[in-house]
Formats: sequence, C-alpha cells, structure tokens
Amino acid sequence: MNKEELIARLKPIVSNYSQNKAALDSINADTDFIKDLKINSANLVDVILDVEEEFDILIDNESMEKMLTVGASMEVIENKIAQK
Amino acid sequence: MIGNDLVDLEQAAKDSNWERKGYLDKIYTLKEQETIRSANHPNQLVWILWSMKEAVYKIHSRKTGIRSYAPTSLVCTNLIFNAGQVSGQLVTDSTHYYTCSSIEKSYIHTIAATSLTELSTITIEIYAYPSNLFDYKNLNPKCISHHGRFLALVY
Repeated sequence: MNKEELIARLKPIVSNYSQNKAALDSINADTDFIKDLKINSANLVDVILDVEEEFDILIDNESMEKMLTVGASMEVIENKIAQK
Repeated sequence: MIGNDLVDLEQAAKDSNWERKGYLDKIYTLKEQETIRSANHPNQLVWILWSMKEAVYKIHSRKTGIRSYAPTSLVCTNLIFNAGQVSGQLVTDSTHYYTCSSIEKSYIHTIAATSLTELSTITIEIYAYPSNLFDYKNLNPKCISHHGRFLALVY
C-alpha cells in the first residue's frame, strides 16, 4: 500500500470526528489531529479503534502514544501491517 | 503549574460512546475500569476520570514539553468522594499531581496542581459558552478549557 492509498483510507475515518472540515481538504502527513483537524481528545480513541478495524491491526499503547498526526499514524499502521 | 478540564456531559454523550468495544481499554487502566464498573453512576465516573487525566495532561505536557496520547499512563488513585466533589491523585513518570473535581448536573470540572497547597489557591470561573462569548484571553487565565456549552478559566 503506498502513502496515497493509506491517506485515502485514513481520511474518511478522521472526517467522522473532525470539527474543522476545511483542513480535511489539505490533509497530509503533517496534519495534526488535535491542532489542525480539531478532533476532540476523547474521540481520538475512536480514531484509533476505527483504524484497528479498517486495517485489521492491533495498536498497543506505546504506538498509540505517537498517533497525534497523520504521518505518525501512517508509520504505526505500516509497521503493524508489516508485522502481520 | 495548574491545569483544568471541563466535560459538558450532554456534549460528551453526543460525541462519545464509551461502551464501544475496546474504548475503555484504550484510556483506562484495569483498576480504573473496575472503579467505573462498580460505580453507581458509571457514566459519571468515566468523565470524572477523563477530566482528571486531561487536567493533569495539560500541566504535564507543558512541564515536559512532550505531547503524547497516553491516557493509561496517567493513573488516577486515591479517589475520595465528598458532597459532589472528588479529590484524587494522579501519578505519571513517578510525578504526583493533585486534583479536585466538581460534579454538576450538566458538567464535570476538574482542577489540577503539582501540590495540595497550590491546588487550594486555585480560583475557578465557569461561563455559559458561547452565549457569553468574550475576549477571555485578556483575563490571562493560567489554563483554559472549553467544551460544549461551557468555558472554564482558572487562575
């Protein structure tokens, strides 16, 4: 899976919780879930759970810690898929 | 350093389904989950513990300069319930923080500090928001929290 495909699969997930729909149009690796997309911190859990379902992976707490941006999340997803 | 966090219970009910499979596991330790399950009002406990973690995270992340999403690493302990208030302690990276939460009908509000003395000096202002919108940054609050219909400032 290349980076574009990965972002394309992440985008609908984060769209569900983003309170800044305009920032979704320019979504890229640097996009911050909280600062840019204005995702409520209690909804970040939902993002993580949705990502687990979408990619059929398990995200441990250590990996979850880093998942504050699109880029960091892509890295975690790629690693977890590689470990499968 | 002080922190605070407000949870508008109506907004939280709209935005979050904490009964979703796996949800509690991601943000609460097993012991915290036990406390939630055995509570008379589990929903209330979910948001009390959450606001405790958030209020402390605001101090801890400023102090360390590190942002992370690790709610289970902020461990709530020594909860004492007394007349609509809950006092507690949080431990993370062997640093202790002290909290006091107020349970209101429409929101939960938690203040946090690095010592009990500091905690006791905190002044709280809560406004209905955004119907009472104003340039609150001019007031130089030490920490701001807004959620749903409420804005909370602490000094």
